[in-house]
Amino acid sequence: MKKLYLLLIAALLLVGILAGCVAENSGSSDSEGEAEAGGSEGESAGGEEGLDIAVVPKLVGIPYFNASESGANEAGEDLEGVNVNYTGPTQADASAQVKVIEDLISKNVDVIAVAPNDPASVEPVLKKAKEDGIHVMDWDTPADKELVDLSVKQVDDEEFGRHMAQKLVEAMGTEEGEIAILTGGLSAANLNLWIEAAQKEFDENYPGIEIVSEKIPTDEKQQVAYQKTLDLLKSYPDLKGVLAVSTPAPLGAAQAVQEEGLQDEVSVVGSALPTDSAPFLEDGSLDTAVLWDPGKLGYLTVALGKMLAEGEMPEDGQEIEGVGEITVKEDGKTVIMGPPADFTKENAADFDF
Amino acid sequence: MKLSKESILGLIALGTFLLLALIAPGFLSSNNITSMMFQLPEFGLIALAMMVVIVTGGIDLSITYIAALSGVGAALMLTNGYGILPAIIVAIFFALACGAFNGFVISKIGVSPILVTLGTMVLFEGIILAITKGNSISGFSDGYSLIGNGYYLGLVPLSIVIFVLFAIITAILLSKTSWGRSVYMYGSNETATLFSGVKNSRVLMKVYLYASLLAAISAIIMTSRYNSVKVDLGSSYLLQSVAAAVLGGTNIHGGYGKVIGTVYAVMIFQFIRNGLNLLGFHSSLVDVVIGAILILVLAMNFFSDKFKKVAETRKAEKAA
Repeated sequence: MKKLYLLLIAALLLVGILAGCVAENSGSSDSEGEAEAGGSEGESAGGEEGLDIAVVPKLVGIPYFNASESGANEAGEDLEGVNVNYTGPTQADASAQVKVIEDLISKNVDVIAVAPNDPASVEPVLKKAKEDGIHVMDWDTPADKELVDLSVKQVDDEEFGRHMAQKLVEAMGTEEGEIAILTGGLSAANLNLWIEAAQKEFDENYPGIEIVSEKIPTDEKQQVAYQKTLDLLKSYPDLKGVLAVSTPAPLGAAQAVQEEGLQDEVSVVGSALPTDSAPFLEDGSLDTAVLWDPGKLGYLTVALGKMLAEGEMPEDGQEIEGVGEITVKEDGKTVIMGPPADFTKENAADFDF
Repeated sequence: MKLSKESILGLIALGTFLLLALIAPGFLSSNNITSMMFQLPEFGLIALAMMVVIVTGGIDLSITYIAALSGVGAALMLTNGYGILPAIIVAIFFALACGAFNGFVISKIGVSPILVTLGTMVLFEGIILAITKGNSISGFSDGYSLIGNGYYLGLVPLSIVIFVLFAIITAILLSKTSWGRSVYMYGSNETATLFSGVKNSRVLMKVYLYASLLAAISAIIMTSRYNSVKVDLGSSYLLQSVAAAVLGGTNIHGGYGKVIGTVYAVMIFQFIRNGLNLLGFHSSLVDVVIGAILILVLAMNFFSDKFKKVAETRKAEKAA
């Protein structure tokens, strides 16, 4: 036993000594790394033709990101001189995503567009990519603003929230009555922005609408949304509408409405994928699903990646072929794809995500 | 000449390296080699931890959540203005507490490891969610980020040095100490081990403590490398680490397993993952290839064991 302890203590001491060396030497090594990187980049630029644009989703193999993959690949075929490399982790694990990006840096791609699982965790690797002369952008979910050259957003949060509110009023067929708001989680920043915008819309344009309680969290789970909606229907028999943000919430709410047979009395509107919501749209338990087209988002990401690599920046109101008119925010690098898309009983079957 | 399981695996590792060096563009670039050296340690440490547990015939399904929880401990210290050393100590303390809990239930109460760690996996995940509310904790000091991103003597990544160090310590502990011998004995036959005067519960307790220590070191490297911690930190390593340990020749029923085998297995995983990414393979295909190699090597191991046994019985028959 004594030997073991001695060994451990010796190891600890060694670690201490190592740690001491590192702090002093890291500065010189960094610059060395850069020099090497610069050299290898030069080689590849001469050897290969066309632009390599890498698009990194949060994970591969789910309908949403499959749809954006086909969009990105389509853009690769449409645009001249662009090789699209759509690759991501098979699990939504931040560390797996970082490795994918590191390998892309080794591959010397020209542009990396990432939808970060955890914006903070991709910060160091994106910094490294930038040091190696790679153009860095984000799509779907924003990364650190200072770091990216371009940020592609699907919708304007304000517009999206207000749009959902209008759709709900439209579905209810009246501008008066009680409604409830379900959300995925209380701390999700984008969901909160949408709800705030929706509340503003109600306050300003539909004073007859009464929101019965604070926004109700559903833990991003359909089952929880279903339970909470059942409770709501019991506690507020006059409830006219439910606004559900986060993709599982509208499904759970619609499920509850369907089970109680209240399709005509209670309207449900929320953000959901069309394939998931089709069975509920069918019988009117879900009135409208509002989201965006992830395929277009993938297409736009690649198109903008090409512009970025060629030294152009997108302009406000610019027409992007295959996508439509885009909006550029005041900071000059946040691009909004366009208005939200509505999925209804009539068109839900046309989409494959 | 007779080669051990581990040497064959070492040759396979060398073979994959050479093959990928030939076919994957940029595989040998200094940039890529360094990036692989940065990627390997965090997974390697977890695989070593898993190996030590599997040698006893157990499994630790909570290992990545132990790592995440200890990462949360370090993150909380760092973001509240404490220095690097206290943060590391707290990280190790958090992990050891988790390991002690696992060890206690498994060794003193005697519940089977897969059930206990399945339970603690959910338990630790719940604790992390309660602390972080599902958000990530980020923004550590530059000094801390050197652990995962810095170079030792300006040449090799510090994290790989730490990994090599712990691989050597683990190898020495397992093969040169009486605790190590008891671990192998317990893995082959726990009843016989008990009757030969070994305190089984103490051996087991130390196994789970040591595994969680390795998880803590991995967590420190990960948090420093990613500059943040979240509930799912390293969760993709859980089953991969079992795969690496088994590919490395560790017997899933316990009793056999070598550090060097696991290290080779981790290297094979690393080469293939990186090489196929460079070749532009789809990520799901990378998983398919790794799965196929795993099955292939395991089948080879199984048959070579079987032939050996057949040959031995024949020899015995002849002698008789």
